[in-house]
Amino acid sequence: MAPKYTVESVEPRIRRFLSPLLARAGLRLRYRVAAPENPHPDFENPEVVVRFTGPDVELLLANRAELLLALEHLTMEMLRMPPEDHSRLCFDANDYRALRIEELRLSALAAAEKVKRTGKPFEFNPMTSRERRIIHLALRDDRQVRSESSGVGSQRRVIVYPADRPAAPVVAAPPSLPQRRRR
Amino acid sequence: MAGMKELVEEIAKALVDIPEQVSVREVQGEQVTVLELKVAPSDLGKVIGKQGRTARSIRTILGAAGMKLNRRFTLEILE
Repeated sequence: MAPKYTVESVEPRIRRFLSPLLARAGLRLRYRVAAPENPHPDFENPEVVVRFTGPDVELLLANRAELLLALEHLTMEMLRMPPEDHSRLCFDANDYRALRIEELRLSALAAAEKVKRTGKPFEFNPMTSRERRIIHLALRDDRQVRSESSGVGSQRRVIVYPADRPAAPVVAAPPSLPQRRRR
Repeated sequence: MAGMKELVEEIAKALVDIPEQVSVREVQGEQVTVLELKVAPSDLGKVIGKQGRTARSIRTILGAAGMKLNRRFTLEILE
């Protein structure tokens, strides 16, 4: 499948947006726009990666990479990327994304073990859609558990259930509401 | 103060369909500088975003920039 976004097609627009923004915000960061070498092809397959370096990388990654994700979100909105394309562009620094995928994968496996042992559902903290997707993918081959997302907006989170147990209405939702699809 | 008004203005202009109607007013307080962002009514959704995520992202950047200047900035989107 031909990529929808390439370095050549998006880099000029990204630079025109991001460079003045970083300068005005006083953030000491450099970045490169490149095609990815992807260590987790099962989980994320971006077509373009923006990698940051510089003295303010620590600030960029503080609070679960809040600033990195904010810059990524605004850049995607600036590029008018539809939500279903969002996994095609990825902002990163110090391999944060790969480390976070590994962390999420391990906590998904730990949660599944706990659910099997106790027979009770396990609720994760709220996560972004991309992070929730990694949890769902990590558990997709496990026949003994089932994962679903629940909640709205920034409060949306993954809940892992024993496979034979129907989902409990965790957040108050009208009973007529149709079952949400996974992720 | 050090270009924060322009920062918000430039971000907003990149997000909306009618950049000519973007304006930002800076209101200096003792502790906090309030940045009042105005856009065309049809562009409100573009600067707020789904579940407020775009507005929250702009606030995160203002927070980081403010930290460097030792000053707090808040963003108000005028409807």
